[in-house]
Amino acid sequence: MAEGYQVLEELGSMEPDTLEETRADVDRREFRESVQGHRASHRRSGRNQTGPFVGHAAVRRLTMSQIDLEETNDELSDIQAEIALLGTCHSPYVAQYITSFVKGVKLWIVMEYLGGGSCLDLLKPGPFSEAHIAIIMRELLFGLEYLHSTGKIHRDIKAANTLLSDSGKVKLADFGVAAQLINIKSQRMTFVGTPFWMAPEVIQEAGYDFKADIWSLGITALEMANGEPPNAGIHPMKVLFNIPKDPAPRLEGDKWSRDFKDFIAQCLVKAPEKRASARELLRHRFVQRAGKIEALRELIERKQLYDTQDNHVSHPKYYEETMVDLSPRSDEDEWVFDTIKKATIAPRPPLKRRKTSRIPSSDTESVDSMMERMDLNAGPLGTPGNSPAPETRRRTSIRKSSVATAIRVPSGSTPTARRISNHIKQPLGVDLSFGNSPSTVRHFKRVSSGDKRQALSSNPAPNSFHPNPHARTFRPTPKTNDENEPPATDYSTTPVTKDALYGRRAYSKVLDSVFQEAHADSASSQQRDALAEVAQAWEYLDEVDPQGEFLLLKAMVERLKGDEKLATALGLNVSPAPTPLKQRTRSGEGSLGGSTVYGTGSTRVRSSMSCTDPQSIPRKSPDVSPPMPSPSSRPASAASASSSKGSRLILAQNNPHLKSHRRRQSAYVGGEKIWGADKHGDIDEKRLPGRVEKGMEQQGLLADILYGQWINGLKSRWPLA
Amino acid sequence: MASFFFRNKSKNNVDLVTSTKQLLLKLTEDQKPIPKIEEELAKNLQQMKTILQGTPDAEVSPESVHQLLALIVEEDLLYLLANNIHKLLFESRKDAQVIFSTAFRYKPPGIAEPQVLNHVIRRRPEILIALCRGYDRRESAMPCGGILREALKYDAVAALILYDEPDGKTRDLESVNPNIPSSGEGVFWRFFEWIDKGAFEVSADAFNTFRDILTKHKPLVATYLQTNFDMFFEKYNTILIQSESYVTKRQSIKLLGEILLDRANYNVMTTYVDSGEHLKIIMKLLRDDRRMINYEGFHVFKVFVANPNKSVAVQRILISNRDKLLRFLPTFLDDRTEDEQFIDEKSFLIRQIEQLPPAPIPPPTAA
Repeated sequence: MAEGYQVLEELGSMEPDTLEETRADVDRREFRESVQGHRASHRRSGRNQTGPFVGHAAVRRLTMSQIDLEETNDELSDIQAEIALLGTCHSPYVAQYITSFVKGVKLWIVMEYLGGGSCLDLLKPGPFSEAHIAIIMRELLFGLEYLHSTGKIHRDIKAANTLLSDSGKVKLADFGVAAQLINIKSQRMTFVGTPFWMAPEVIQEAGYDFKADIWSLGITALEMANGEPPNAGIHPMKVLFNIPKDPAPRLEGDKWSRDFKDFIAQCLVKAPEKRASARELLRHRFVQRAGKIEALRELIERKQLYDTQDNHVSHPKYYEETMVDLSPRSDEDEWVFDTIKKATIAPRPPLKRRKTSRIPSSDTESVDSMMERMDLNAGPLGTPGNSPAPETRRRTSIRKSSVATAIRVPSGSTPTARRISNHIKQPLGVDLSFGNSPSTVRHFKRVSSGDKRQALSSNPAPNSFHPNPHARTFRPTPKTNDENEPPATDYSTTPVTKDALYGRRAYSKVLDSVFQEAHADSASSQQRDALAEVAQAWEYLDEVDPQGEFLLLKAMVERLKGDEKLATALGLNVSPAPTPLKQRTRSGEGSLGGSTVYGTGSTRVRSSMSCTDPQSIPRKSPDVSPPMPSPSSRPASAASASSSKGSRLILAQNNPHLKSHRRRQSAYVGGEKIWGADKHGDIDEKRLPGRVEKGMEQQGLLADILYGQWINGLKSRWPLA
Repeated sequence: MASFFFRNKSKNNVDLVTSTKQLLLKLTEDQKPIPKIEEELAKNLQQMKTILQGTPDAEVSPESVHQLLALIVEEDLLYLLANNIHKLLFESRKDAQVIFSTAFRYKPPGIAEPQVLNHVIRRRPEILIALCRGYDRRESAMPCGGILREALKYDAVAALILYDEPDGKTRDLESVNPNIPSSGEGVFWRFFEWIDKGAFEVSADAFNTFRDILTKHKPLVATYLQTNFDMFFEKYNTILIQSESYVTKRQSIKLLGEILLDRANYNVMTTYVDSGEHLKIIMKLLRDDRRMINYEGFHVFKVFVANPNKSVAVQRILISNRDKLLRFLPTFLDDRTEDEQFIDEKSFLIRQIEQLPPAPIPPPTAA
């Protein structure tokens, strides 16, 4: 709280309770996390309400971003280092850090509010004119001069990290990868940045200094002039090879002045020692002749006009985030297209996934409630209250799933995009191997937005980006995403029967995505509307009566099976399945294995005991689903649904959540078979308190080997071991 | 040309240091900030910084650096700076940090020891204490912390902080008797306060320094912790481990694990894991509703369980909770499936708990 008041002092413009209110307001809003939480959610608000959710009168002149410290993979100390670095910047050309505070498990970072948005945003309506670029370059050079004189390298200069205030002031932002040099002469080796903007010496890891920022500045100038950085069409991985190899890019075209071309040539000198410094470039004619920053308001107004004129165009951006989220998980070659498609309708799952992940937890709950009653009877410990350990776990899975597909952030708030783009960014100074460097991920992001921008400029509203207004039904209301609100509880009243479990599972694992894919694949808006309605109805059914849902499914499958022709067409005759189908089935199983229902052994035991037709359930559901939304009338959609299911599985490979299940699954391989053949043996085994017992001896051996050193160390130190 | 510049500079160095000293003295006296003095100081400090570390375009002159540092030491400028750093302007504070760091790092050609720092340790340890007190204020916390961590590369600095006592006497490290318990009033103990009470940045920075003090120079710290075991863990448990602040709590559990598992702290660890009270605190952490707290707590919990000579108190707690633990642990953080080490350690613990005797058996050497 004391911290809060400090903020007010520094701002001087807010009433004490305003901030309180602000914070509460912000809290109430959905603040979605992304994988790393960190840099992820970043919300601005203010007057330009460009997107559906942007804008909150309560927050003024402040940007608050939060890091969920429970979720971030970064070390706390790295986050602190970044904040410390932010805190040492104080310049009119650098986005001003104000303060940060911890509330619960979240770290809030308060920065000055820059209402103009990022230059990447402002580029949406089209490239900038030379006059505008000159002004921005001059201001950026001032910012770089400041940073460099205080021993900092920004290392990620690009349009997305160049923010404008309402009045057109240009400020550098995002110090997620910035470096503080101890000595002004020292060099850095770390491989960070965003590929398209990276200087050759950074890529070659030969040691670099401030001059790396100048290269990036030159690329940024090209980005502003052309609407995209050089090589934007090339795979970022390849770009990393091209930049050191190819001659430095140049500005082409008659519409640009010689000064501008020369300025860029001065920035883009491959040998860093021959490259100009920020101070030298400030004396360049191109910059010297630049106009006043007020002129930049034209860019802001242009963007506003663009947004109002073409309101729907802001929607694709809305999806862009989703795309970003999915991208790192998808196959490199497939994700761009696939995801865009999916994204057009995908945004939803948080609620759904929540449910699935909740169900098995009822089982964990019992364990945990037992744990709650744990007494340390050697002395009173005090009652542990309602410590909801399972709650936590559940909450986590909610977050994760919302990350996966939840709608991202409203348009207009580039900082969000920016933040997200950084979400895998590594801490300062950490050496990143080429393959898994954050930039590799960042560039995926880059591709998406670049492609999108390309697509937008060539074809303002391509169909795939054009959201069907009725697709709205697929979008959760903001409330759905509000993770600060207690999750809806209605479903918890549903009796948890095994059929209900299956129903939920069928919906969340299979049907939901099938609906969405089918929706994405359907061409006409009429079809899509119809599908949306079915999907919605089904969602409601799932919410209200998962058991009935399952029984319905089952009945459908039974009947379909009854009709021989249909059964063959759908591949429901299990044994003589054609090869491709088999493959599909297998992959379906793989994804099913990832479900949380398997998460706790006991759940499964119970269901196996009472289930009438245990074997058919997991196998059938994936095959059943395609006919649901669109029967044989559109085989194409079914096929593509299955193919994208394939790609989805590939996604799952990278999904740690699923990986866990694969692991578990493989641990169960033996049990899996017994399960069908000999229930009792299985049950007995599963009933053992720690099911790890099975194969425990081997694991113990493993532990001894792995921890041999530690254990031996302990033993040797404890004389009588 | 060069000699002209050099002469010019060397003359300036004297002026620079004396005028800076005067300005700092004025700053000390006056309660209210005087913009003119602040600005002039800012210019001076910036010039010093430039002399000491050069600019991107200009190399430093070793002679000038040497002369300036000699003057700074002579005029005791560092002491004044350390005490007034919070009164400086924003950029000046950073300049002061650069001046300190360069000075502390400075080794004249041919000499392996950091000359200025040695002087400070021997003659002016008050400077280091004053830097610690920089955590009293938000403005000075970060620059002082940066300087301290630089200096903490030397164990003498850590020793000065650890063995500081409030009597104001200059600590002569050679006269310190490590077996005499600390009064708990020295500057080291104030770190608990700074970590607990400070704003996020201050608290986090203070914690980083605290960690450096406790982990950089192991034999020194091991002796210190043994002597001051009770007071240290009393404060550590109540102020840090059970802190309201998530960040403090999480970081301090982690640091506790690091300290205990360090070979040098073997005696500290054995004493620590004999205590049933400590085990209770840690077992509570396993049930905290925040996963990372659970996780960090696990890494301390495992030390209790892995101990082959568990005290009766620890055995009693573990045995009476055996069944609960055996139900709890298999699902404990079971979404951490990527973490092989964690999974294996967990199964190791489960095995250990299963093998506990039905009733506590006194360890062979009840020390």
